[in-house]
Amino acid sequence: MKNVISVSGITKTYNPKTIPVHALQGVDLEIEQGEFTALVGPSGSGKTTLLNIIGGLDEATEGTVIINDQDITKLSDGQLIQFRKEHIGFVFQAYNLIPVLTAKENVEFVMLLQGRSQAERNKRVNELMAAVGLSDKMNNRPSQLSGGQQQRVAVARALAPKPTFILADEPTANLDSKSTANLLDMMAELNKQENITFVFSTHDQRVIDRARRVVTLEDGKIVSDDHRDV
Amino acid sequence: MLFKVSWRNIWRNRTRSFVVIGAIVVGVWAVIFMIAFTMGIVESYVSSAIENDISHIQVHHPKFKDEKEVKFYLNDIGTLVSNVEQQANVKVATQRTLSNGMLSTSKGARGVQIRGIDPTKEAVVTKFDKKVIEGDYFGKAKKNPIIISKRLADKMKVKIRSKVVVTFQTLEGDITTAAFRVVGLYRTQNSTFDDMNIYVQQTDLNRLLGGESIGHEIAMLIEDTEQLESTQAALKAMFPKQLVENYREISPDVNLYETQIQMSTTIIMVIVMLALVFGIINTMLMAVLERVRELGMLMAVGMRRLQVFSMIMLETIFLGLIGAPIGLLVGYLTVVYFGKNGINLSAYSSGMQKFGIEEIVYPALESGVYFQLAAAVVITAILGALYPAWKAIRLKPVEAIHKI
Ligand SMILES: Nc1ncnc2c1ncn2[C@@H]1O[C@H](COP(=O)(O)OP(=O)(O)OP(=O)(O)O)[C@@H](O)[C@H]1O
Ligand SMILES: [Mg+2]
Repeated sequence: MKNVISVSGITKTYNPKTIPVHALQGVDLEIEQGEFTALVGPSGSGKTTLLNIIGGLDEATEGTVIINDQDITKLSDGQLIQFRKEHIGFVFQAYNLIPVLTAKENVEFVMLLQGRSQAERNKRVNELMAAVGLSDKMNNRPSQLSGGQQQRVAVARALAPKPTFILADEPTANLDSKSTANLLDMMAELNKQENITFVFSTHDQRVIDRARRVVTLEDGKIVSDDHRDV
Repeated sequence: MLFKVSWRNIWRNRTRSFVVIGAIVVGVWAVIFMIAFTMGIVESYVSSAIENDISHIQVHHPKFKDEKEVKFYLNDIGTLVSNVEQQANVKVATQRTLSNGMLSTSKGARGVQIRGIDPTKEAVVTKFDKKVIEGDYFGKAKKNPIIISKRLADKMKVKIRSKVVVTFQTLEGDITTAAFRVVGLYRTQNSTFDDMNIYVQQTDLNRLLGGESIGHEIAMLIEDTEQLESTQAALKAMFPKQLVENYREISPDVNLYETQIQMSTTIIMVIVMLALVFGIINTMLMAVLERVRELGMLMAVGMRRLQVFSMIMLETIFLGLIGAPIGLLVGYLTVVYFGKNGINLSAYSSGMQKFGIEEIVYPALESGVYFQLAAAVVITAILGALYPAWKAIRLKPVEAIHKI
């Protein structure tokens, strides 16, 4: 299988001039097309930092990040924004949606930024809203959706531009266990049916149990990497 | 879509948006009203000066202006006036004989300017007959009638039919004294003028001065004030030896007054706009800061900085575009209303009358000013939005997202 993510020798030091925090200390990680990977580890172990670096939201102090054969550490700011828009879907812990837009419009938004046609957008929005099981909530604003529903819209939004993979930093942190299970079902389904690559960080054991690969970080280093069948 | 998001964003915090819109409305309204009111005053001042005193164009002996002596007169003035009236764009012209002198009554004496007028023509040029508020205008066959102001009459304790004595110099240089009978009392809006000027018939004054067909001043009204300068030029050609002046030259204070009032209007406008700029900066900065995480997310998912910048700018421009027309409309309606009904300043006008300002001011505004103002507000809004929008694009997505 083809590697979609390939990071090597990543270190990240915050505040190098004052009180250096060595958030990542030499991380190598390869992720193939179609994986369903959980990034776990105690608080402060560097999960968010690693995801941000893979997603091109933050810069590594050392090392390379190759996504789809492209070394993103060499891209300019503007190129990076463009790259993110095309290749990476993000799901954050919160504040994923634009509050003034409806669910449908939120999903459409990134495609609009990409300049896709109306017909293409409509088709994709319908498809995705069905896939996340929210076809009946198209015209609701985020405030009229539950936390779990909002996260599902966020996943749909992240998928809209057909990214290479989806990065999710603790997507279930604010959800109750039922919504967590629902969201996970949906993600697993998308992973299986459409071979979409997911990388997500989590503290939640129930989420960890659903992952097919579990990468454990401790003090900025990978301490274990288990592949398993679920 | 950017439009849609921006538009909806401004309704997220309704109270705040309404405050900004309200501020814009009030600002625009205030500026409109202020300008219109000042214009009204300027116009009232200018037209009052023209009506009461100077008219549009005057002709004098070139030395009369500075020396004010009777010997600098225009000869055969009646013919000159008919020539002037032949001129295109001249509506009507009148002649005056002017002399400095002394008005004496049993109560004392005062220095005055004696204005010898042609009663019929003067009534047309300065509507002087309308300003006679007690007694009669000239015309009833009486010997040596005189009209003085009500103010002066009160000060000098004279009434209609009182006899007054006027002393002045003849053309020969002798001092002469003549008795006049008060037939009417006048009042203009300009109390200084009222204290200084007394009116007699030109024929009477000329006879006493010793020059039947002389006069010192030709004053005329013109049809089209836009053509003031060209008419003046034509008259200059007609009277190459005389001094031909328009009302701005005759009364430089009119000019000064106009420019000064325009300057203070500009200053006020700048102050109001500055207040608006800071209000907008403040509000939009708040709007940006409370949305830091959302803006970070937008940038993370691929919104370019220029788009974020435009979004914030658009929000502000929308606020301006809502506020400005309302302000313009309210301002326009206010101006129209008061333009018709006037603003009564009589409560304050005892002071203002000294300066020749009418008691009732009619605000007036050219339509061009509305457009200028609308543009100014939108520019102000844009200026006010620049800093917050710039702040927004300085955000780094990661930091923004993690900011709690
Ligand atoms: N902007 C920053 N400046 C300085 N130090 C930072 C910054 N962001 C993270 N850190 C530090 O880097 C280390 C790794 O942080 P990170 O957020 O990646 O951990 P995490 O595994 O995501 O933790 P959690 O499970 O609590 O989310 C921590 O020690 C953290 O304090
Ligand atoms: Mg984290």
